[in-house]
Amino acid sequence: MKKKTWNTSEDVLRLFQTVGRASLLYDIQDSHSGNMAIRHRDESGNDWIVITSTGSQKGDLEPNNICFLSPAETDFGYYKASSETDIHARILALEGVAASIHAHTKEIAVVTLDDADKPNQPAPFIPVDPLGYYHLSGVVPVDWMAVPSGSPEMAKVIPERLAEHPATVIQAHGTFAKGRTLKEAFFRVCIANNAGYVVRLLKRLKVDVEGLRQRVWDSPQASFSYPPPDYTIDDDDVCDFPGETEILREFQKAGARIFESRLSPFHSGSMSVRGVGSMLYAPKASMPREIGGPLREVPLEVEDGDSPEIQVHKQIYAASDFQTIMHCHVPEAEAQAHFVYPGDDGPLDRIVPIDAEGSFIHLVIPVVPAKTGIAELVRLLHDYKVVVVRGGGVWAVGAQSLSEALHHPSSLREICLYRIGAFEQGLDLRRMEPGKARNW
Amino acid sequence: MSELPWGVHGKILEVDLSSGRIEEAPLDPGQVADYIGGRGLGTRLLYDRIDASCDALCPDNVIVIAAAPLIGTNAPTAGRGHMVFKSALSGGIGSSNCGGTWAPAFKSTGYDALVIRGRAASPVLIDIRPERIEILPAAHIWGKDVHQTTEALQAGEADRRTRVLCIGPAGENRVRFAAVMNDRNRAYGRGGPGAVWGSKNLKAIRVAGQKKIQVKDKERYQSGLEQSFYLLKQAPATKRLLRDLGTAGLVELINLINMLPHRNFLDNRHRDEDVENVSGETLAKKLLQRAAGCYLCPMGCQRHTRVGDKKGEGPEYETMVMIGPDCDIYDLEAITRVNYLCNELGMDTISFGGTLACAMELFERGILQAKDTDGLELRFGRSDLLDELARRIAFRQGIGDRLAEGSYRLARAFGHPEFSMTIKKQEIPAYDPRASFTQALGYMTSPTGACHLKGGYAVSLAFFGGTKEIPRFSLLQSPIGIRNMHNLGIIQDSLGVCRFTGYAFSYDPWARMMSGLTGLDFSTARLEEIANRIAAVERLFNLAAGLTEADDTLPARFSREPILVAGEERVVSTNAVARMRMDYYRARGWDEQGNPTPATLESLAIGKRKSP
Repeated sequence: MKKKTWNTSEDVLRLFQTVGRASLLYDIQDSHSGNMAIRHRDESGNDWIVITSTGSQKGDLEPNNICFLSPAETDFGYYKASSETDIHARILALEGVAASIHAHTKEIAVVTLDDADKPNQPAPFIPVDPLGYYHLSGVVPVDWMAVPSGSPEMAKVIPERLAEHPATVIQAHGTFAKGRTLKEAFFRVCIANNAGYVVRLLKRLKVDVEGLRQRVWDSPQASFSYPPPDYTIDDDDVCDFPGETEILREFQKAGARIFESRLSPFHSGSMSVRGVGSMLYAPKASMPREIGGPLREVPLEVEDGDSPEIQVHKQIYAASDFQTIMHCHVPEAEAQAHFVYPGDDGPLDRIVPIDAEGSFIHLVIPVVPAKTGIAELVRLLHDYKVVVVRGGGVWAVGAQSLSEALHHPSSLREICLYRIGAFEQGLDLRRMEPGKARNW
Repeated sequence: MSELPWGVHGKILEVDLSSGRIEEAPLDPGQVADYIGGRGLGTRLLYDRIDASCDALCPDNVIVIAAAPLIGTNAPTAGRGHMVFKSALSGGIGSSNCGGTWAPAFKSTGYDALVIRGRAASPVLIDIRPERIEILPAAHIWGKDVHQTTEALQAGEADRRTRVLCIGPAGENRVRFAAVMNDRNRAYGRGGPGAVWGSKNLKAIRVAGQKKIQVKDKERYQSGLEQSFYLLKQAPATKRLLRDLGTAGLVELINLINMLPHRNFLDNRHRDEDVENVSGETLAKKLLQRAAGCYLCPMGCQRHTRVGDKKGEGPEYETMVMIGPDCDIYDLEAITRVNYLCNELGMDTISFGGTLACAMELFERGILQAKDTDGLELRFGRSDLLDELARRIAFRQGIGDRLAEGSYRLARAFGHPEFSMTIKKQEIPAYDPRASFTQALGYMTSPTGACHLKGGYAVSLAFFGGTKEIPRFSLLQSPIGIRNMHNLGIIQDSLGVCRFTGYAFSYDPWARMMSGLTGLDFSTARLEEIANRIAAVERLFNLAAGLTEADDTLPARFSREPILVAGEERVVSTNAVARMRMDYYRARGWDEQGNPTPATLESLAIGKRKSP
């Protein structure tokens, strides 16, 4: 085997740096927490485990924070490597796995705490949002560990869990996820954290979470619009329209904003700009600036093999004059859509802003069931420009620009935060909503 | 649909000036649902009543002035009238919109539209009052300017609601860009409606009425109304900028983004101090007496100004730039004075400025010589000639007779039509198309010829559209972007409201107000469908008038002679023109020649044209 050095390749360094920075931007790590690992074959054909060094700052990884280890033996690379290297090594040994991430993912970590006597087997986490449910195979295992950091016990249990599930939670510590690529593993920890956040929000809104989980468990098809597209790993650098420099920049700006403002978890959601015979389509709308995602030009007509997600874009365009569409999974909206006003029998059918900007932009925002048809969705988009689909994300449109569409979910997130905050303080939302909004 | 919607009176007044016949016709309720009013209703009525191939200045031309359902309510800016006709300038559809107070006064007479055809044997005025409608002799006011005519027809009127719409000498003399004026200084300016009036010997229409309309669903209407005022108070342009600086407040901004034309669009280079001289800020400091608004307008962009002893209105942005920098003139007082004069003579200031700029270029190139110009040295920068040229044009004296034909016919007469900066023979307004593909496409595809308003006010989105800001140079995004902008403008014109409300909102509050007012479904989706229908009928009119896809293009200058935009040389190449035009047609559901396809016509339920 070739002698190791700390001079990692530019590609590997850049990958770790960009995912590391993204993990800090998405607030799933503290300054030094977590670790990332990949299997890597160098130019000479040597195989390595590449892992972040122990105590490194994931938001500012330096070349000497990237450790190359032998997958087969203990060597000097191990001195600096993560304290959880053994866990990652075993995860990477799983069939089809080439990357793993551990992140502190505070939202799902907090929502999976319990105060039971230890040791115990905590209840698994059941996501109630479509991204969490489908991308995390319906269940995220949760385990209590006597030594919940870098322990042999963890090195045994976590790979076992990940052999069956995309992600797993160690109680009071965080999430481990596997992936075919580092970006896929990162996608999964983001989705897990988002799923935890949605549940936390639901609890803050005093929504019957267990009842909702039961309904999801009993019938995910009825609870969600459709399964989100499978995560793809080989097309992130594809751009079909490099000559459209201004539109390209708009996609990049909007994608970064969706991610950084947490309007949708990493590489989730979708957005498009319509041309006359084709549309420019970003199937992973939430794109950190340095990572990006695929940017496709596709026909406007529905084609065999189109995902349900892209079909919605095409169907909306076919039934309207809109020029831009954005679909985001805004967690605050996902939770708000299940909110039941005290005294009401069912969840709300419109979100009424109580903040100044929200009222300025949206007098009301309709909330519709998961299986709402395209015709009704288009009708509402015409009238309101943004629609929350309970169990189906947030759809927004623009007559002219991506920026215009972007403003809707962004504003909606703030609207929901105001409402959630007011409710938590015991304020009467009905009294705070403009009366006329009931008719708008 | 058989039941008459609320918000309209259900009557059309038809006047035949040749026979002197005055008739009432019922308004088809379905046309309100399908075309609303204003531009939409007017376009459909015109399309059904005219042989579009007729000469614009012959008796067969038809003028339709249509009010909109919202006129007569308290909706913001809902006082704009719309006039459609065959254009004396382009030969296609003429479609002109105007503020002021005449349109609400007309609607209060109990009619939704006025159709005028034929030609009077001698000058006449149409007098519409609650007790009678008459065609009266107008020899006593023929030859008077707009202000004199207005004063003469309002003098002695006991009814303070009396309003006058009239032409000045330019219209009488069939200047191809003559305007029709109301409230003395508000113009139905573009496309030469004044020339069409002049050709019919129609000097004025005086109206006075007291009919009101009722709102069907007050709560729904009120929700839209409150929303609209709320939003108008938020947006920077509508809450303050337009009142403080008027539209001339754009001068500095448009220069900053390299779009301010110079010397007949030869370039876009100006000295900063020159631009400052003609800015909205300087206008406000030096000449502004007060700002004011049209009927029910909370924005107040009107400039009531004073130059020496003379008071008047203006200049607006387009006037300032087309008579100013586009003619290499930066003399604010000279521009303002000739603006006053154009108002009095009844002339469109955009085409006036564009025609002068063309003539100046022709002169500097030696194509037009002193012998052709009555000895005038018609060079760029000659602000001292402005007043004299305006009078010569309005009265068709000497070189004025040539200029009165507009820049295209002038340049063609001297063998060089390429120096006319026109589309469909109408002068391009004061935004250089090389600095925005979207604006370029808007000019190209405007049904009335180059027009910043009928062509979709793309510049407003490209640079101060807020969240709607769009790419300037995207071939892919421009066609649908401009189609959507066209559509919003069509709806605004059909609702009788001002373009500038678009700085604050698009369809939403209007949809609620219209639904509440009329009791019909005017959802946003329906408004879009209506806009597509109106655009198709306008296209059908132009095709019937003989226009083709070859008319939807830019002057060659814009594809051959680059300007610097943000440090980069920019043209709109012929390939870009062809691609955008084709994609625009496709976005509209038109074929490669710009004919609405049978499927489009069927889906929009346009139906066959009624026999004229």
